[in-house]
Amino acid sequence: MTDRSGVLVPRPWRRLLHRDVLAGLMFILVAGLGLWVSRDYPVGTALRMGTGYMPRLLCWLLLGLGAVIALRGLRDPHGVGDGPIQGTAWRPAILVATALVVFGLALERLGLIVAILLLIGLGALAGRNLRPAETVVAAAVLVALAWAVFIAGLGLTIPVWPEW
Amino acid sequence: MDLLANLGLGFAVALTPWNLLFAFIGAMIGTLIGVLPGIGPIATIAMLLPLTFHLEPTAGLIMLAGIFYGAQYGGSTSAILINLPGETSSVVTTLDGHQMAVQGRAGAALAVAALASFFAGCVATALIATFAPPLARLGQSFGSPEYFSLMLLGLIAAVVLAHGSVIKAVAMIVLGLLLGLIGTDGNTGGQRFTFGLNELADGLDVATLAIGLFGISEIIANLANREAHRDVVTKRITRLWPTPDDFRRAWPAVLRGTSLGAVLGVLPGGGATLSAFAAYALEKRVSDRPAMFGRGAVEGVAAPEAANNAGAQSSFIPMLTLGIPGNPVMALMIGALMIHGIQPGPQIMTDRPQMFWGMVASMWIGNLMLVIINLPLIGFWVQLLKVPYRFLYLAILMFCAIGVYSVNNSTAAVLIAALFGVAGFVFQRLACEPAPLILGFVLGPLMEENLRRALRVSGGDPTIFLTRPISLGLLIAAAILLLIVALPAIRSTREQAFQE
Repeated sequence: MTDRSGVLVPRPWRRLLHRDVLAGLMFILVAGLGLWVSRDYPVGTALRMGTGYMPRLLCWLLLGLGAVIALRGLRDPHGVGDGPIQGTAWRPAILVATALVVFGLALERLGLIVAILLLIGLGALAGRNLRPAETVVAAAVLVALAWAVFIAGLGLTIPVWPEW
Repeated sequence: MDLLANLGLGFAVALTPWNLLFAFIGAMIGTLIGVLPGIGPIATIAMLLPLTFHLEPTAGLIMLAGIFYGAQYGGSTSAILINLPGETSSVVTTLDGHQMAVQGRAGAALAVAALASFFAGCVATALIATFAPPLARLGQSFGSPEYFSLMLLGLIAAVVLAHGSVIKAVAMIVLGLLLGLIGTDGNTGGQRFTFGLNELADGLDVATLAIGLFGISEIIANLANREAHRDVVTKRITRLWPTPDDFRRAWPAVLRGTSLGAVLGVLPGGGATLSAFAAYALEKRVSDRPAMFGRGAVEGVAAPEAANNAGAQSSFIPMLTLGIPGNPVMALMIGALMIHGIQPGPQIMTDRPQMFWGMVASMWIGNLMLVIINLPLIGFWVQLLKVPYRFLYLAILMFCAIGVYSVNNSTAAVLIAALFGVAGFVFQRLACEPAPLILGFVLGPLMEENLRRALRVSGGDPTIFLTRPISLGLLIAAAILLLIVALPAIRSTREQAFQE
């Protein structure tokens, strides 16, 4: 956006990978989503605030902040500040989140033990250096631990075995 | 005297076998997670929060508090022995503590850290006992406008004291406030950001959010980085007792660290980590041998360890007296109170003296336990450090998963935690601190309520915040803080302070 007379900006889109730019865009995105979702909320007045008064106020605020953050990131000459973002390993993020989702969906139907085994199995894939035998031992120990703490110890009402 | 009678009551509560047991459990868990890098007090407390529902509130709070200050003790152990901070609050302890260990003085470093923490813990407990009652009385005279202004001041102070970019911290607060809006609007009954889902009608749960943002995202971040090589100092720790010269150098540092930590802990956004960093910087400045810092100066261990414990404990003061959380751990403590239907605020001290004073007394007892847990049992914790992270994270993941489900036996909570786990990882990559988000999330609904009430009282006239003296004072303080951050000269010293 600003005219940089130097040669340091070979591909303009690379600037978008700056941390602050991405952070700003993230805030703008969330704010935009919030504004869109709350488009029909009654706003009311300061005296009689409607359901939408606070949400819309905060969304506009976030939108403004996000824009300022993104612009400052774009103007940051050499990516000093927080620096440009490096390549990110998405594998653990996706696998850990998937493991949790599977655990959550399995727990009530398949019971605690199966759910934990699924969680550990998928979770173990997220780490790189876990040997299969180690995973099996870890799973056995953790299932026993979970049963001892949560079922025997605290008496949580979670189904332990699959419900047929 | 009132104070003695109150403390007497407190000790009577804290010394019951049941409460002693939970103080001990808290201290043990705190040390455990403190020693282990990769899991912090925020995630642990969030995981255990649902379990406190099954306990009597006093016992539950005693345990959660023990985890927080226990982690400050445990954090120093791994900082000293493996040059890897167990907690962010013991990052600076690695500088000199590990050097001492390399020079064969690991025992002395551990002892100084534990004793400094114990001294600071005693002082901080006394401070809470002394200053909490007058503060609570002040708090009881507050109306809605004062509360709103106080919370605003709290949020702004949290930004000023946060790491990194100020404007990003503000944006994270606003994001937290927005997340706090999710659910049914208490005043109009309208649904906000629920996307038509029943599971969201009661809003997000603070424990779910914290487990995702601090527990799950931490696991992801640790797996995304290579497993750090842990260089455990395996030499047998023979001499635990510091030399007379260590004592002579350490005690003034402990005094300074304690005072600094106690003050910074009370401030919103303060707490253990900031206190430790500030204490180290101060020590280096006043020292007669600054060149020794980073090369095994005992002051560099004593001061930050005293400060982080003092800061951890004094951060309870605003939470207990005013119901205002200064850091994410306190936000979770407020969550713990609400699970039991206890409204946080100044009335806690008068309505539930047993709980309040029992907790204060248990902090002192817990600190005493921690010295014992940490020093003679040090061999046990060292063994624990040899457990590789590839096993550890599976256990953490499992406890997070079950903990989050048991908040209200809800599958949706697990899915939400997974979502915030990924979000937390993204925040980390974009250098956005999650702590302000949690504060905004907890304070948001309270602020909105007080704002609405204040405006209703004044008939919609916003000047009510400026015409009431206390409220005006708080707002002026907030404005001054904002101005300070905006001034470049001070901003650079602030950055410098965080650099060190």
